[in-house]
Amino acid sequence: MNTRLLMILRVTVATPQSIGAVPHGTRRTVPITGGDFEGPRLRGSVLPGGSADWLLLRADGVLELDLRATLRTDDGGLISMRSFGLRHGPPDVIEALARGEAVDPAAYYFRTTPRFETAHPAYAFLNHLITVASGDRRNEGPIYTIHELL
Amino acid sequence: MNARPLMRLRLTTAATEEIGPTPHGMLSIFPITGGSFEGERLRGIVLGGADWVTAAADGTRELDLRVTLETDDSALIHMTFAGVLDDANHYFRTLPRFETAAPKYAFLNRLLAVGIGEAHRDGPVHTIEEIL
Repeated sequence: MNTRLLMILRVTVATPQSIGAVPHGTRRTVPITGGDFEGPRLRGSVLPGGSADWLLLRADGVLELDLRATLRTDDGGLISMRSFGLRHGPPDVIEALARGEAVDPAAYYFRTTPRFETAHPAYAFLNHLITVASGDRRNEGPIYTIHELL
Repeated sequence: MNARPLMRLRLTTAATEEIGPTPHGMLSIFPITGGSFEGERLRGIVLGGADWVTAAADGTRELDLRVTLETDDSALIHMTFAGVLDDANHYFRTLPRFETAAPKYAFLNRLLAVGIGEAHRDGPVHTIEEIL
């Protein structure tokens, strides 16, 4: 698998909305209040309006992530991002994360697969990219290192 | 990003069903009649499925595949992928996902994967790697 860095995305989050037990697991929605992204070909900020991560904790202990965010580049391009992801790990590590402790991201599996849509010609290359990201869960919000699959 | 091989998946397809221009683009459905998969941790055959392919105005095709895999020890695996096929740039990449109830293959429920596709005369071949 050959990849190259697309961007590092930092999002900031508000208090999660705990929806609770639903037919497929335990659902929690985490509003995204802002953030920024930077890479060799694009940089900018995260818009809070339509951005959140819809989380579903499955019965097998795997957390499914379904993030949608609007990015605005420093030259005014709007990019819609969606990413599906998985997070899981040893119980003591997941409990430490839940307590808000700093945890080495290598201690758990936190991977996502972002897709992008934009109408801005300078960023049209994003429309047809397959990308993979590794996540680092922080209290203030996750940091995603996103690589383009070459 | 680190990855390790998961499987090589070969698909055989039947005559394409051309739905034609829809609001999202030119929709073609590729019925999948069979195939096989092989990797260090699993191997077996493809029972069938299809790939829903939508061509965008710029010629790039978006793939939306669903198939059922059967391992050589009779476990069933539901596999899907979203993907991109851009002939002009030789870019054929997919994001496979798996669901199974078989405990032996439950590791598939917990991983994300990427696939590199190649078009062959007798059907596509996907080299699928687990994202570590």
